Amino acid sequence: MNHRLSSMYLLIVVVTLVLLMTASVAAQAPVSSGKAPAPAKKWTAKTPDGQPDLQGYWTNSTYTPLQRPQGVTREFYSAQEVAQVEKQAAEREAEQTEPGTIADVHYDFTQFGLDRSQSTHTTQMRTSMIVDPPDGRIPPVTTDGQKRQADRAAERKRMGATTDQVQNMPVGTRCIVMAGSGPPMMPAGYNSNYQIVQGPGYVMVLTEMIHDVRIIPLDGRPQLPGNVRQWTGSSRGHWEGDTLVVETANFNGKNPFQNASEDMRVIERFTRVDADTIDYRFTIEDEKTWTRPWTALLPLKSSTGPIFEHGCHEGNYGVRNTLAGARAEEQRAAAAKKVSK
Amino acid sequence: MRIRLAIVITGFVLLVATVPVWAHHAFSAEFDVNKPLTLKGTLTKWEMINPHSWFHINVKEPDGKVTEWMIEGGSPNTLIRLGVTKYTVKVGTELTIEGYQAKEGTNKAVGRNFVLADGTRLFLSLNGAVPGGAEDK
Repeated sequence: MNHRLSSMYLLIVVVTLVLLMTASVAAQAPVSSGKAPAPAKKWTAKTPDGQPDLQGYWTNSTYTPLQRPQGVTREFYSAQEVAQVEKQAAEREAEQTEPGTIADVHYDFTQFGLDRSQSTHTTQMRTSMIVDPPDGRIPPVTTDGQKRQADRAAERKRMGATTDQVQNMPVGTRCIVMAGSGPPMMPAGYNSNYQIVQGPGYVMVLTEMIHDVRIIPLDGRPQLPGNVRQWTGSSRGHWEGDTLVVETANFNGKNPFQNASEDMRVIERFTRVDADTIDYRFTIEDEKTWTRPWTALLPLKSSTGPIFEHGCHEGNYGVRNTLAGARAEEQRAAAAKKVSK
Repeated sequence: MRIRLAIVITGFVLLVATVPVWAHHAFSAEFDVNKPLTLKGTLTKWEMINPHSWFHINVKEPDGKVTEWMIEGGSPNTLIRLGVTKYTVKVGTELTIEGYQAKEGTNKAVGRNFVLADGTRLFLSLNGAVPGGAEDK
């Protein structure tokens, strides 16, 4: 009898563990839009020199926000809730703006296929990319960080309007760098695509906008000297099992991620989990800005290549048109003032 | 040149400013919300360039004079991935474009709506539905 009871208890424990593990995997696995979750199968493909194979075209386009929305207290949505959230977000993207409003002074994203629902994107069950802290929100900003934000805001105010001179325009507007390059690699709104190529001793990550390239050595060399500062920092990689770990420092502080300091360090982890998915997570360490490190997770989903060169400067008529428009408005205002005198 | 300064009310439910603006620059700084226009013209060139593509159209005046306009649209990269080519909208296609004129006052505008001659809205990514789609090249 005791033996039978023990067997029953063992069976119950095993079944419970299997169910919990299955539920956990189902909840965490990124799923394709409109497809069932891919079965958890270890990805074992290697490059000719023996690296786990991360190569290909990838996208991190997603409806999942960086931070958990206010009022949402759970880490995961149900499949039904995710479908509803995505449906509503896609409908908002397709909504027509009201003629005569500022929002209407724009092309229609849907006419150009630029709303996320028309292209490959990842769907997470998660309610936020941020997985740590557990509340899914960026940690509190330190006193130093608050002062830096205030100083930056004051400097922007001192420089004047963004239309006063080209130097005042955001770096993205000037085709210098956009959100997707990172690190960390964040969705750029549209064209959130990457190409990863591996060679002996190196990994290359190409970002579509604006064709930025990170060539990441894997040979254990030290970071660049502290006085060498770059837009995308200095990246060094190594393998921990099948996970590529990339540590980046030496940012130039001109395009601060979430108002970080130029001493921000980013630790990225790339793990190929199946043919269509790389588990991508990053940790931000910047004690000058946040009270604690924080970590976010956003899967990279297999995308379509090739990546077309996002030659940005050549077609960036908008800068010239905007500055010319501001000068024309000033002249009109001056003429009107003269008439009224 | 006859520019119809009319605000076109569509049959859609109209909601204000809920669409996320991801464009890499503020269009309302480049184009004038107080200068809505509707242009009917013929496509002469489509610059599939980044960060935003430009449509060149010839607008015929009532007196027969032809005026050239440049219309700003979206990035072509995603369209290219979706199978759109420069042949999807062929040179010579008649377009009606609703938009807003550039603040500097020249013949440039942002294209809010691109409408084909038969009255249907142009959805570039659905190139199969567009006369002269990619398969025709």
